[in-house]
Amino acid sequence: MNIFDNKIEFRGFLIGALVLVFLLPMLNALTSPDSFLHVSSFQLSLWGKYVTYAVLAMSLNILWGYTGLLCLCQSLFFALGAYAFGMYLVLHIGIDEVYNTPLPVFMDFQGYTELPWYWAPFEYGAFAVFAAMAIPGVVALIFGILVFRSRIKGVYFSIITQALTYALMLLFFKNNLELFGQSYILFGGNNGLNDFKEIFGADVDSASTQRWLFIGSVLLMLSVYLLVAWVLKTKFGKVQQAIRDSENRIRFSGYSTTSYKLLIFTVCAMIAGAAGALYVPQVGGINANEMTPAKSLDVVVWVAFGGRGTKFGPVLGAVVVSVLKSFFLRAAPDSWLIILGAIFIFTVLFMPNGLVGLPQQLKPWIDRLKSRKATTSPVS
Amino acid sequence: MKKILLIFGLLAVLVPAYSQDQATLAALEMLALGEGSQAEILEELSDLGDPYIKTFIGGWRTGEVYSYTISDSETIVLLRVSEKFRRLSDNEIVDLAEDDSRLKKIRPARKLRKLLKTITDTIDLSSPDSKTRIDAALKLGLSQNTVYLEALQKKLQNEENEKVRLKFEEAINISLLANAEGPEALLSAIVRLGELKSLPSRDGITNIQNKAIEAEDEDLVTACTVAVGRIDRAQKTIERWGNLVRGLSTGSVLLMVAFGLAITFGLMGIINMAHGEFLAIGGYTCYVVQNIFANAFGVQSAAYQWFFWVSIPISFVVAGAIGFGLEKGMFRFLYKRPLESLLATWGLSMIMQQLFRLNFGAANVQVNTPDVLIGNLEVAGVALSYTRIFVIAFAGVVIVMTWLLLSKTNLGLYIRSVMQNRNMASSLGIPVSRVNSLTFAFGCGLAALAGAALSQIGNVGPSMGQTYIVDSFMVVVVGGVGNLLGAGISAMGIGAVDQFLQPYWGPVMGKIIVYFVIILFLQWKPGGLFPTKSRSMDD
Amino acid sequence: MAHVPSEKHTPLILSVDGVTKSFDGFKAINDLNFYLEEGELRTVIGPNGAGKSTFMDLITARTKPDSGRIRYHQDDGSDVDLTRVREHQVSQLGIGRKFQNPTIYKSHTVYDNLQLSLSGKRGLLSSLFYKETKENRDKIYDVLETIRLSEFADRLAGSLSHGQKQWLEIGMLLAQDPKIMLVDEPAAGMSDEETDRTGELLLSLEGKHSLIVIEHDMEFVRQIARRVTVLHQGHVLKEGSFDFVRSDPEVIEVYLGRQTRNH
Repeated sequence: MNIFDNKIEFRGFLIGALVLVFLLPMLNALTSPDSFLHVSSFQLSLWGKYVTYAVLAMSLNILWGYTGLLCLCQSLFFALGAYAFGMYLVLHIGIDEVYNTPLPVFMDFQGYTELPWYWAPFEYGAFAVFAAMAIPGVVALIFGILVFRSRIKGVYFSIITQALTYALMLLFFKNNLELFGQSYILFGGNNGLNDFKEIFGADVDSASTQRWLFIGSVLLMLSVYLLVAWVLKTKFGKVQQAIRDSENRIRFSGYSTTSYKLLIFTVCAMIAGAAGALYVPQVGGINANEMTPAKSLDVVVWVAFGGRGTKFGPVLGAVVVSVLKSFFLRAAPDSWLIILGAIFIFTVLFMPNGLVGLPQQLKPWIDRLKSRKATTSPVS
Repeated sequence: MKKILLIFGLLAVLVPAYSQDQATLAALEMLALGEGSQAEILEELSDLGDPYIKTFIGGWRTGEVYSYTISDSETIVLLRVSEKFRRLSDNEIVDLAEDDSRLKKIRPARKLRKLLKTITDTIDLSSPDSKTRIDAALKLGLSQNTVYLEALQKKLQNEENEKVRLKFEEAINISLLANAEGPEALLSAIVRLGELKSLPSRDGITNIQNKAIEAEDEDLVTACTVAVGRIDRAQKTIERWGNLVRGLSTGSVLLMVAFGLAITFGLMGIINMAHGEFLAIGGYTCYVVQNIFANAFGVQSAAYQWFFWVSIPISFVVAGAIGFGLEKGMFRFLYKRPLESLLATWGLSMIMQQLFRLNFGAANVQVNTPDVLIGNLEVAGVALSYTRIFVIAFAGVVIVMTWLLLSKTNLGLYIRSVMQNRNMASSLGIPVSRVNSLTFAFGCGLAALAGAALSQIGNVGPSMGQTYIVDSFMVVVVGGVGNLLGAGISAMGIGAVDQFLQPYWGPVMGKIIVYFVIILFLQWKPGGLFPTKSRSMDD
Repeated sequence: MAHVPSEKHTPLILSVDGVTKSFDGFKAINDLNFYLEEGELRTVIGPNGAGKSTFMDLITARTKPDSGRIRYHQDDGSDVDLTRVREHQVSQLGIGRKFQNPTIYKSHTVYDNLQLSLSGKRGLLSSLFYKETKENRDKIYDVLETIRLSEFADRLAGSLSHGQKQWLEIGMLLAQDPKIMLVDEPAAGMSDEETDRTGELLLSLEGKHSLIVIEHDMEFVRQIARRVTVLHQGHVLKEGSFDFVRSDPEVIEVYLGRQTRNH
């Protein structure tokens, strides 16, 4: 079964995949820095970051665009994945030169001399990769059971997920957790995890590592795209959209919407977690600022701006907004939030289908312009 | 004998009425000039308890007291205050040159100085102000100095105020912890301190307990354990009440915020994420008004004290006007589209926050507390700050007024009818769009009132709204959407539970537990406390 | 479902015994007894607030009764207590419901709307790996024929007219192949001609399915009525033929009387 809508989409996908997986990394590796074709490592890891954002946006789009669940905890799952993999990275920094400790510095500050048991498994890269997806997945599963079982939906779902994000953010900003008289070290508090040195035995900052991370992020994005395209073609995808349009009807048609939503929610959390895991070595750190409710809403802007409920919209939205952000933060740092806010309002009020839907939306206008030209040209 | 005591007692009562000043001054003059019996005068002085005694003795010890011989038979005492000589007996300025030969600096003898120190230290025990007496007693008791112990015991006999007596007793027993003669006395002191639920003595008792454990003195250990237990229990109760008031005041702020949210959601189907920023508008309005008052009248003036009361209505009007404009320009396009409204208003919230930051800086600003609200109300040993009580009362007034508005006025009738059936209301000739604008403005005004109140118990800063918005949404969800009674109950509940959990779990875990409980609660009642029933299948 | 009709000993398909349901002290359904025979077409009428919608909610497990039993008599002779199943299982048992306002999947095509309703497995994996057979397709075209939407098969359901949406929803029920069909105000918002056709459609289903139709429009009720149940204050007030019910003074008082006064 062909999972693409038409030939154009198929060709676009192929060209995009070739450019991102081969061309850009090769331009980075094989051209000299002076060449105008050269893609610097900095550029590459910057775009790698945008690609992980795109994946994050896609995961939200599956929930919001196709299932009607406006989830405000996607950035939380992203950050959980990032933390899980960051734990692995932070445990492979080696002996700190200043404080002379094999442990992460923040543990040393707290007087720890040994790695606590719940940190120990994260020394293994494979476990960390697994955990980066499993932890968000489990959190989503448990939370989802509670929320979907009691039929919380619509804005209530958004509000509840926002509260979850807020609560866990507060937790991650702490250094320690006191529980039943026992103290547990958390994840670096305000500073979070950073200053990484090594990833799977390689230097994390080296050009080749960054190149592989970029390729990895792109592959993740492509596979999520394929997954979305495939599911949309199946009956599952139709049920999914039916839940968005009329959940009661589909439930009375005999579908257990709870289990559908639960599966989708969990899988999306895992996708976000995987994106987070790829994000952390490319950016070089993670802290609790990445899980504020505001970050989750940023993801919503990406999706809405790019085009909710479309396959390519979220990718476009994530990249365009991120590029705009990095531009304005340099050009006019004070007004960035105002611009972002304005984008938000403008999109909601005037661009319900986002950038992707813009041509369609503008078509009648353009047609009218054209026809006016056609009628006026003979006169002039 | 009894008669004499009675007369003495009467005198003690009458003396202040006659003129405490004169008695004090006369005694001081005699003391300074070394006339009469020193011991008697000292005793008299310590009974008088006039705060002036302290001032005078202080001056005396630092060499500001002079004798001035007018004639052979008349010598007066002068006190030098900021380069001027004043007569002790009537405080008149006497024009004298420093080098006048009849002027003689007098200083107390070493022995007298020591006695004077005891007097100044214990003088507050006789102060007419009961609070000063209590503070002095506890201070002296905690010093565990035997000299003061005697003074305390003596004063206790004359003390008539029951509350002060108990504090004196507490002070004496604290002192006895170190100075008790024999184990019996120590034991009874400890027991008595336990009965008095004396927090200041807790450290002393635990010290004794530790020593007693080493010495294997079982009786003493038990007594200490019992006493400490009593003190701790009493302390917990006090804390609990304090927490309750803190919780209720936080809940009150939440309630005012949630009311606005519930009204706008119930009426227009709008989730207003920027609602928290109207809270900030209230806070900043107070700040601006405060600055205007400070510039116009000066910080010391009496008029300045009025800034807060003036800024309350202003903040309501300012936020209402902004809300009115936004409703006309933006919100009316979002009716009955809760998800879209959530996003658009989030954008609005970002813009507003940034505008606050650009105008007032990223740091919190300081809104002062008017003098009237400074201090604590003490109820059964629990100190409740006036600001918090004010916030609770203020919220009460606001809620009653909201209720009156909704149930007794025409606008209220319109609001309720639009809430129930927009189309029907519109076809009945109710000006729906005006009702919407006004209601929305009103909701924003409520948030600003909450912000003004919050300026007294919390921080005013660009992101102050964000701290409350998550909680207020929880209030709306738990209460049942568009239901004001539900919002009221859940706001108070969430505020109070939050404050109750904090001492045990810390603020962060407390908050997490609250959210968790809310999610569990929704398992049981998915529609909140008061669910709205709807006939439409897709609601 | 095992199909062993020989074991079934009752002509009934649904029994509602002494069911009561109250909301905040208000008894929406009060000691309701209701019995539906296999293949019967039953019309339920009653003034606003008589408990008609709650009655349907109870049968479809959308709300749980405070007391009483609701039994569904299956072909194999076993009974299912409908108060103990979950909503999505109700339709798998063979009970379909059409809502008062047409509820359809507006961004799917008419064809897909029916495909989603087609009886069959509803699990996560089976819908991920669902393969459409020729039988499935034929069945969908049959239904399209019945509801006269054949030529709209590829149109988005959201673009249909109100009456067509109502039919589509009835079609979705048919695709489920239910034993019992609960139809809530099928003629609401329809033109006279559409109403007539809807009536014909429902009558043609009699015998093949058991139907409960809730309706307000008396003309329409007259058209389709066989046996009529009048609900009042959550209780069965009268039951009988349309003419019997219409001439009953009590019914006239609570319902028809008011109706005629309004006209």
